[in-house]
Amino acid sequence: MRTIAITVNGISREVTIEENELLLNVLRDKLGVTSVKAACWRGECGLCTVLLNGLPVKSCMTLAVEAEGKEVVTAEGLYTDERARKLQESFVEHGAMQCGFCTPAFVVTSHYVLSKNPEIDGDDLKKELSGVICRCGTYYQIYDAVMDARKHYRDKNI
Amino acid sequence: MSFITPYFTLPKFTYYKPDSISEALSLLKQHNGKARVLAGGVMLVNMMKERIALPEYVIDLKGIRELKGINVTESGVEIGSTVTASELQQSDIIKKFCQPLAKAASYMGDKILQNSVTIGGNISIGMPSTDGLPALMSMGALLEVRSADSARMLPSSDLVVNIGRTNLRSDEMITKIIVPNAAESRGTYVKFLNASEIAIATVAVSLMLVQKKLRIVVGAISAKPYYFDESSIGWRWDENIKENIKTVADAIGSNLKPISDAVAGSEYRREVSKILVARALKELFGGT
Repeated sequence: MRTIAITVNGISREVTIEENELLLNVLRDKLGVTSVKAACWRGECGLCTVLLNGLPVKSCMTLAVEAEGKEVVTAEGLYTDERARKLQESFVEHGAMQCGFCTPAFVVTSHYVLSKNPEIDGDDLKKELSGVICRCGTYYQIYDAVMDARKHYRDKNI
Repeated sequence: MSFITPYFTLPKFTYYKPDSISEALSLLKQHNGKARVLAGGVMLVNMMKERIALPEYVIDLKGIRELKGINVTESGVEIGSTVTASELQQSDIIKKFCQPLAKAASYMGDKILQNSVTIGGNISIGMPSTDGLPALMSMGALLEVRSADSARMLPSSDLVVNIGRTNLRSDEMITKIIVPNAAESRGTYVKFLNASEIAIATVAVSLMLVQKKLRIVVGAISAKPYYFDESSIGWRWDENIKENIKTVADAIGSNLKPISDAVAGSEYRREVSKILVARALKELFGGT
């Protein structure tokens, strides 16, 4: 048992964890961040993707202690970012979901991808999003939604 | 890849996060045989979930800055063992001097996992599916292997003994990867995946321009990668290379003994390997 400090979605949190706990479990069960989904538990589906110090990682493959002193951002934390809100609206407009279970992970991942390169398109974009799986198969709509949201990330005024 | 349902919790262990290589090595010595080093966690965490690995002590290397850099030195390009696949692809040094490795890094897991996968972890687990090892072998890379009491240089081609088994002792770890004469080389890496994205074969090719030395490595078809150079295939790179690509590919194909399993048969893996060798050579030299 040890108590670690993590910044989750901009808020400093202290949480008591076991050393063998996964970041995924701590986020969902101890910190109440439920946009982070648990599905395959082995790093294949990507639904547990979070931004750890700005980089997307799969939280089912990350020990909670590894996040000590670091910043975690999930889909909930993107509400402060105007561009990310527009990105989420684009997902709705394009119907980029059926059951919606993968949507938080796709939003987080595509937010990272567009922040890095708002000009990305074609196979590069598909490759960047390849770490997350949508079992309903709404990939075309997700691709369109992200392509459409690129304009918001180019706009320096936001 | 097995499909055993993973446990959702990890076994109990004690976690250390040392700041220096020497501290990590003394922990490995102190808990010899009961400790495992954790780099990206992509393999080790899953192996712990499935109870394949049951370390009592886990030594996290991510806090060690000395293991992180990519530098050009007199001996060649030096790569820290916890450099991630994403960092390899973004590095101008790697893109310029270690082309097979830059391309191999783009195949390690998916784009998200590449932020976690480390080059040291990718090769030291000893799995046949590693992308890093064929690329490093084609460049003649050396591995700096250290323990608390010793340091040695291990040629990358001598690392893997069998599936999941390497020449590393339980108190040793790879601290650095050295690619000699990297400035005078160029190369490429090609891979063929089936519809489930499982590797049928991979081929890394590296050409040393000054010594006129061509190295071809075929991976993912057996426990350890196959290594070929001029002496093993009896052929020189400057003899009308473009017309000889098929001959070289056939010569390499006849020297392979690929495994047969549920993913692919031995003959299919051999044919794919031949085609990949030809593709890689065409990419490097042009020709048909």
